[in-house]
Amino acid sequence: MSNQEEILAELREAVVEYEEDDCAEAAQRALDEGVDPMIAVMEGLAAGMEEVGVLFDTNEYFVPEVLMCADALYKGLDILRPHITLEGDAPKASVVIGSIQGDVHDIGKNLVKMMFDVAGWDVYDLGRDVPLESFVEKQLDVNSDVLAMSAMMTTTMMGMKKVIAMVKEKNPECLIMLGGAPVTRDVANLFGADGYAESAGNAVSEGIKMIGRLREFQKGDIK
Amino acid sequence: MAQELVNVIFQPSGRRGEVPKGSNIIEASRLLGVDIEALCGETKVCGKCIVRVEEGHFEKYNIQSSMDHVTPWQEEVEAKFINPENKEKGFRLGCVAKIEDDILVFVPEESRAGKQVVSKAARDIKIDFNPMIKLYTIELKQPDFEDKIGDWERLTNGLAREYGLKDLSVDIITLRTLPRTIREKNWTVTVSVWNDKEVIRIQPGRVERAYGIAIDVGTTTCAGYLCDLTTMEVIATSSIMNPQCKYGEDVMARITFHMTTPGGLKRMSEDIIEGINSLIDKAISLTHPKKKKIRKKKGDDGPVEYKEILEEGVEYLRISKEDIEDVTIGFNTAMHHILLGLDPEPVGLAPFPPVIHHSLDIKARDLGININPSSYIFAMPNEAGFVGGDNVGVLLAEEPYKGDEIQLIIDIGTNGELILGNRHKLYSSSCATGPAMEGAQLAFGMRAAPGAIERIEIDPDTQDVDYRVIGHDKSRKFSKPEDMKVKGICGSGILDVLAELYRSGVITKTGVFNKKALKKNPRFRKNADTRQPEFVLAWEEDSSIGKDIVITQKDVRQIQLAKGALYAGCKLMMKRMGIEKVDTVKIAGAFGTHVDREKALVMGLFPDCEIENIHGVGNAAGDGCRAALLNKKKRDEANWCARNVQYLELTVEPSFEKDFMEAMQMPHMTDKFPHLEGVVPDHVLNQGPKGPVKPDQKN
Repeated sequence: MSNQEEILAELREAVVEYEEDDCAEAAQRALDEGVDPMIAVMEGLAAGMEEVGVLFDTNEYFVPEVLMCADALYKGLDILRPHITLEGDAPKASVVIGSIQGDVHDIGKNLVKMMFDVAGWDVYDLGRDVPLESFVEKQLDVNSDVLAMSAMMTTTMMGMKKVIAMVKEKNPECLIMLGGAPVTRDVANLFGADGYAESAGNAVSEGIKMIGRLREFQKGDIK
Repeated sequence: MAQELVNVIFQPSGRRGEVPKGSNIIEASRLLGVDIEALCGETKVCGKCIVRVEEGHFEKYNIQSSMDHVTPWQEEVEAKFINPENKEKGFRLGCVAKIEDDILVFVPEESRAGKQVVSKAARDIKIDFNPMIKLYTIELKQPDFEDKIGDWERLTNGLAREYGLKDLSVDIITLRTLPRTIREKNWTVTVSVWNDKEVIRIQPGRVERAYGIAIDVGTTTCAGYLCDLTTMEVIATSSIMNPQCKYGEDVMARITFHMTTPGGLKRMSEDIIEGINSLIDKAISLTHPKKKKIRKKKGDDGPVEYKEILEEGVEYLRISKEDIEDVTIGFNTAMHHILLGLDPEPVGLAPFPPVIHHSLDIKARDLGININPSSYIFAMPNEAGFVGGDNVGVLLAEEPYKGDEIQLIIDIGTNGELILGNRHKLYSSSCATGPAMEGAQLAFGMRAAPGAIERIEIDPDTQDVDYRVIGHDKSRKFSKPEDMKVKGICGSGILDVLAELYRSGVITKTGVFNKKALKKNPRFRKNADTRQPEFVLAWEEDSSIGKDIVITQKDVRQIQLAKGALYAGCKLMMKRMGIEKVDTVKIAGAFGTHVDREKALVMGLFPDCEIENIHGVGNAAGDGCRAALLNKKKRDEANWCARNVQYLELTVEPSFEKDFMEAMQMPHMTDKFPHLEGVVPDHVLNQGPKGPVKPDQKN
C-alpha cells in the first residue's frame, strides 16, 4: 500500500471509529507527506462518512455515533481545509442554511451543513428559530446558490412556504432544499421547493449519500 | 398422605372451591380462576394484590370466615401498602396471607387484574378536606302577612343567621328553581354554595351528599374520578380514548389540524366535550345497577324495557348528571386550549406562549358539559406551552415544593414532562419522547391489553427469554406455549426490554446487537424482508397471531431516542440547579405503577440514583386534579405552582445536543452508575466502546 493510500485509509477509519485525535493526526500526516488536501478530504474523510452512512442505514450506527463521526470528521477538515486551493477563479458555491422560525431542533440541519462543509462550500449557517425574513435577507445578501431550511414540527413547516415564495419572487435562480421529519415530497412540491430530505433519519443518510455523489462528481473533475 | 383442604370464596366474582391448606391467597385465586393483580410475582414488593378477608358467618355459602383463618399480619411487609385503618377492616396482601381455614375474600376493583389494565387508577394520597362546594341545610319560616319577604332574601337571611354566609349571589338557572323547591319539603332546603359566594343548586329537604368529578384529559386517554365531595371517597373511575386521536397522535398534529383545516378547532373542541360527557356518563352509570333488556313477547312493539340486576349487598348511589356539582380538569396546554376553543397556534411555535396561565372557572353550560347547569368547571392553570395543568396536577399530588428533599419527577406520556427541585427551587421541562414508550411505532408494539408482554427477563448466560403477558398469570417458564397467546409488547414491557437486552449483553452499550455474543443464538437473525437485525422475544408457538414476536434493531433505536430525550432533560435540569444527584425519583404516567424501578435505572431513563428511592406514582396528574377538586386551597396552590416553577426549554440549552446524544446509550455514554454495581454484571456495566467482553472470553 502506498503512503497516500495508507493515510487515506487512516482518515476513513478515524471517521468510522469516531476517533477525533486519530483523525487530526492523520490529517496532519497527509499534509506533511504532501497528499493533495482535496483528495484527503474526499477520499479520506468523506469516504469514511459514506461508510458511516451505510452503517446508519442498517441501524448499526445511531444518531450519537453519527454525530461523533461528524465531530471526528470536522477535526480533520479543520486541518485540511485551509490548504485547499481552488483552481482558477471559479467562485465557490454557497448555501444559506437554518432551522425555521418557531423550530429549535437542529441536529439534522447540522449534519446537512456538514455535507456542504465537506464539499468546500461557503456555508452561511443562520442557526435555529430563524425568522422568515432573515432567510430572505441573507439569501439576497450573499446571493447563495442554495437555500436549505429544516423544520421538525408540522406547526413550523408552514413557514417554509412563505420563505420560498418570497425568495423565488426576488431570485428565481436560487435552489431550495427542505428537510425535517414532517416534510414529505408532496409538501416540498406543494411549497415549490427544488429538493427535500425524506425524514429526520433520512436527512442523515440522504445528506451522506449526497456526499457520495459529490465525490464521484469531483473525481471526474480531478482526473 | 391426603392433603388438608379448606374452602375459599372470592367476591365479587363468587368463585369458590377447595384449595390446599397453607396456600396463599394468590395461589388460591389462580386455582379458582380469579385474576388478582400480582405484578411482582409474589415477591411481596409491589403491593398490588391487596384483598379483604371478611369476618363473620356467610349463610349463602355456609362458611365461617375470619381474619384469624389466615396467617398473621406481617408488619414489615404489609404496613407499607395497607394503612392501620384498612388493616382493621381486614385488608391483607394476597401473597403474604396463607389460608389456614375457610375464608371469604373480597377483591377490590383496583386489585383485579385483566380488564383494568388501561385505566389510570386513583391512588391513595393525602388530601385535606376543603371542597369548593359546601352543602347547607336550612329550615325556614313560612311567609305570612307579618313576614312577606321574597324567597331568595328569606333564604339568604336564614343562611346568614345560621351559617354566617354573607353576600351570596345566585345563578339565574338556580333561582328559577327556588320558588318550587323551597315549598316542596315544608320550607326546608339544602343549598350548594360555591366558594362561599354563589348558590349553584337548591334541593328540597335535607341532602347529605354532593358529588364532583376530577378529569385528566390526556393527549391519548382521558380518565375521570367521580368523588363524594362530603367524604372525599373515590366512588367510580372511568376512562375513554381521547376522541381527537383521529386528527393525529400528538399535540403538534392536533395544532396543525387546526392550522390547516377551517373549523378544525371547533370540531376538535366539540369532540372532546362530547368525550367528557360520555366519560361522566360512564362514571355515573357505575353507581347504578346493571341493566338487562327484558325479552318481549312476540308481536309486542312497545318500547324496549330494561330490568335492573341488583347485586346482593351492594348499595347503589344512583347518581344523576345533575348531582355532579363540581368538575376539575387537568390537561396539557394544547388540550386546554383546544377544549376551551382558544387558538392553540402560538403554543405550537417557539417560544410557545400559552394564551393564559391562570386557572379558569367556567360555567358548565357555557362549555356544554352536562352536569348541574349552574356549576363551574375548574380548568387547571398552565405552566408553559408544553407543560400545562396536568403537570401542575403532578406537582399538587407530589408536593416537591414542601420539603428539602430534591425530587425528580418524570411523567411519561406521549410527551415527557419533568419536574426537579424542592422547596427552595423548582424547575419543569418537557421533551418529545414520542409514542415509542407507549408501544406505538414498534414492530410489535401494542397497548396494555390481554396478550401484551408486560415483563421480560433475559438470562445473561444463555440469553434465553422469559416473559409474562397480560391476561395470563404465569411466566413463560412455567406455562405451556399455547397458554401464552402473545400478540405484542406494551409500555411496561418496552421499558423492561431495553434494560434486559443490555444487561444480558444482547445489545451493547450503544444499542447495537452484539453479533459476536449472539453468533450461536437462534433468536438473533436478519429479517429476510427488511434486512433488519432482530431478536425473537417469543416464538410463533407462543403467539396467537401466528408470528414470532421480535424486537428489531430499529425498535431499539426508537426506545433509545425516547429514553435519551428524558435522560438529557433530567441532566440539563440538574446542571441548571447545580446538583450532581437527586434524592428521589418518581415515575408517573399511565404505566407509572407498572414500572420496574431497577430496570428503569438499568436502561438509563434518568441519572444514577439509589434504587430504593425510585418510586412509581401512577397517574399523578389525575391525583392532583382530584386534590384540587376536594381541597380548594389546592387551586390557589396550583396557580402558585404554575407561576413559580421555572420552565426550562431544553432544546435551546447550549449542551442539549451533546447531552441528548450521550444519553441515548445504556445507561449513558459517560455518566457513572455506582448503584448498578452488582445489578448489572461488571463486564457489561464497564464495557468499552465496542461492547462487553466476558471475563472468560478475554485474550
